[in-house]
Amino acid sequence: MSTKPYVNPQLAPTTRTPRPADKKMRLKESGGVAAWVMLAPSLIFLAVCSIYPFIWIFRYVLYNYDGIPAHTRFTGMRNITNMFADAKFWSSVGTTFEYALWKLVFIIPLALIMAVLLNQKLRGSSFFRGVFFMPTVISSSISGMIFMFIFATGNGILNGIFQKLGLIAQPIGWLTDTSVVMASVIIMSVWAGFGNYMLYFVTGMTSISEDVYEASRIDGANAVQTFFRVTLPMLAPVLKVVLMLAITGAFKDYEAIMVLTNGGPGTRTNVMFLYIYNLIFGTGSNATRQIGYGALLSLMAAVIVGAVTIVYNIVAKKLDDVV
Amino acid sequence: MKRKVSLLVALMMVAVMVLSAIPALADKTVVTYWSNDRHDEVYLNEMIEKFNAAHDDIEINMVIMTDDFENSILLAIDGGTAPDIIGQSVTLKNMVDYDALVNLTPYIEADEEFQKVTDALNLKFEGLNAIGDAIYWVPSGQRSGVRIEYNKDLLAASGYEGIPASLPEYIEMAKKITEDGKANDPVTYGIGFTSSSPFERQLEMMAQVSGVFYYDYANGKFDFSGYKPFLEAGRELVAVAYPDQQGVDNMRAMFAEGTFALWGNASQEAGVFTNQFPIEKFEWGVSPVPSLDGEIKGALQVNPNKGYLMLNSSKNKDAAWEVIKYFQSEEFLVGYMEGGYDLPITSYIDEKVDKSKMGRMGDFSLLDYESVYPAVPTINLMGDDYRTTLWNAIMGYVDIDAAIEDLNTRYNAAYDDDISLGFIQRLVVEDYDPLHPSAGTVVWQDK
Repeated sequence: MSTKPYVNPQLAPTTRTPRPADKKMRLKESGGVAAWVMLAPSLIFLAVCSIYPFIWIFRYVLYNYDGIPAHTRFTGMRNITNMFADAKFWSSVGTTFEYALWKLVFIIPLALIMAVLLNQKLRGSSFFRGVFFMPTVISSSISGMIFMFIFATGNGILNGIFQKLGLIAQPIGWLTDTSVVMASVIIMSVWAGFGNYMLYFVTGMTSISEDVYEASRIDGANAVQTFFRVTLPMLAPVLKVVLMLAITGAFKDYEAIMVLTNGGPGTRTNVMFLYIYNLIFGTGSNATRQIGYGALLSLMAAVIVGAVTIVYNIVAKKLDDVV
Repeated sequence: MKRKVSLLVALMMVAVMVLSAIPALADKTVVTYWSNDRHDEVYLNEMIEKFNAAHDDIEINMVIMTDDFENSILLAIDGGTAPDIIGQSVTLKNMVDYDALVNLTPYIEADEEFQKVTDALNLKFEGLNAIGDAIYWVPSGQRSGVRIEYNKDLLAASGYEGIPASLPEYIEMAKKITEDGKANDPVTYGIGFTSSSPFERQLEMMAQVSGVFYYDYANGKFDFSGYKPFLEAGRELVAVAYPDQQGVDNMRAMFAEGTFALWGNASQEAGVFTNQFPIEKFEWGVSPVPSLDGEIKGALQVNPNKGYLMLNSSKNKDAAWEVIKYFQSEEFLVGYMEGGYDLPITSYIDEKVDKSKMGRMGDFSLLDYESVYPAVPTINLMGDDYRTTLWNAIMGYVDIDAAIEDLNTRYNAAYDDDISLGFIQRLVVEDYDPLHPSAGTVVWQDK
């Protein structure tokens, strides 16, 4: 027997077609006009600075274009076939995944641990919060330059300290040794970024009610149990957002790497967006600007980052269901 | 009350001064010049100040912009903020194809004084400063080919007096100095390389004087095969070199501190090691680069430079020409050469310059086998340029044979492609002589 769900007639949606006067009234009542007026600058900004450039790059995907109109030629599918045969690009995609993975492995736990420690309301917490957040406000290129001095082989600060302490006999090629350079880049990016995520976590923790902690204390939970049974589950929504920001951020990093290693030695730290940047601007080791080809690679990079984000969202949703 | 009156008077005086200055500036045509040279900034500022003081109709405004010069100019043209004059460090063909430049030939032809001082109508280098009959910039001087600058004390400590003529001997010397330097505190090294175009600054020029060049002018194609022994030599040199390859200025500073003995760069180092990083701790010498077997089989490339291009977007073309004329006047150029910023390119200026005032620039005087090479066509290359690829081979990041094969394939494919699309023509030099590269007959082919 089929049962018809009960619908409260008072709450049922009306089927009456609204009269124009009603519409106008409701728009006025809900502040619609004011909302659109206030949204307009942001929407215009978004359209001009984000949507238009994104559409713009589609124009040149099938063109050989170096920024000089007289050189523009339609080349059909050539950029696309070149992309699939471009070992350097696919190697840069692999490097990006490697970089992002290591960065996330270190940056999220570190940010979380520091947030928990600084949330203890101990003396000096605010000071350290500021100190850890400080690298976030420094521009990426400056971070790159700072770490150039730290990691220099011959006259670098780190090798100098290690040698003084007798920890190493020979200087380590932090930026020149292909087996070490990725670690150097990750150290820099973790230093530059963890303060930001730490702040998100601290903010998330302040919204957890003190009653919950009090209840757990009464139940006899120790610090570790409180962290895993109370703090972490209550932080889950913030953690989800932070993880998504961290993933997309890690995949798009390139500025500091450009300053620190410029993708080298060889192509060891040549991440995807650095490769694309150099192609489009004809900088680095590129002889000429490849705006058409670079536009295509940008789209492919967007697809890759989008795919990673979608996979993360699916996994996060599944975890939600499990939890 | 008295203080208030004094304050009021002072304010009025300031207001009068400001207001009187405004019409003076407003009457002047401001000509903006973008330079990407930093080494001559002091001299240029001094001369510009002099010009501005002497002219009540034109004001020169110089902006130094050393990073991403060409892109910045193209962006400025698109954005309507381009200067009137730019330095010559741009790809001429791209700028001409962009319709960005003014053909200076009519200005030059109408000015006999300019012709006399600069020899502008004869100093035409196809693809470099001129295309066909159109001259886009006129060189003020020239930069020598690369030399080896060396630390005489470190060489002497290892039993050497100067730079040997052949590359194997040069490698042995670098090895010996590094080995001996291990006993020093701090440790010293035989040689140092920068991260900025390191191949160009020594090994490429050693290849040139050995008769190896990346473009085969006789057959009109790219050919990197001849570089193999130089890449192998490079691996040996890097193994004994200072362990870091940092930016040019960092490495210069370390050379000036005596950290390593051998450094390669052109005549700009005369000014660098006397003004920017003055060498005071040791005696330094300058020597020609060694060749593969000690014999000179090819010309060493010199670069005509310090030219000024006028942009089409300029609204003050006549004033801009006046400024270019001033920058390339006898008074300006003689001071420039005597300041050790460049080497004269015309016999007229050469005769006027007091060589005793040139400082260490005299050590970089041109060798009899130095010459300008015909400009190699600009191609729409995909991927790394040859200098990066070859240096990666030296560093062991890629196999030497694979790197050479990759370059031969990519460069010639891009060249053929650009020719077939009609962007460029194939450059062939008939009767090409590697010792006199600019002496042959240039032929442009459509295929």
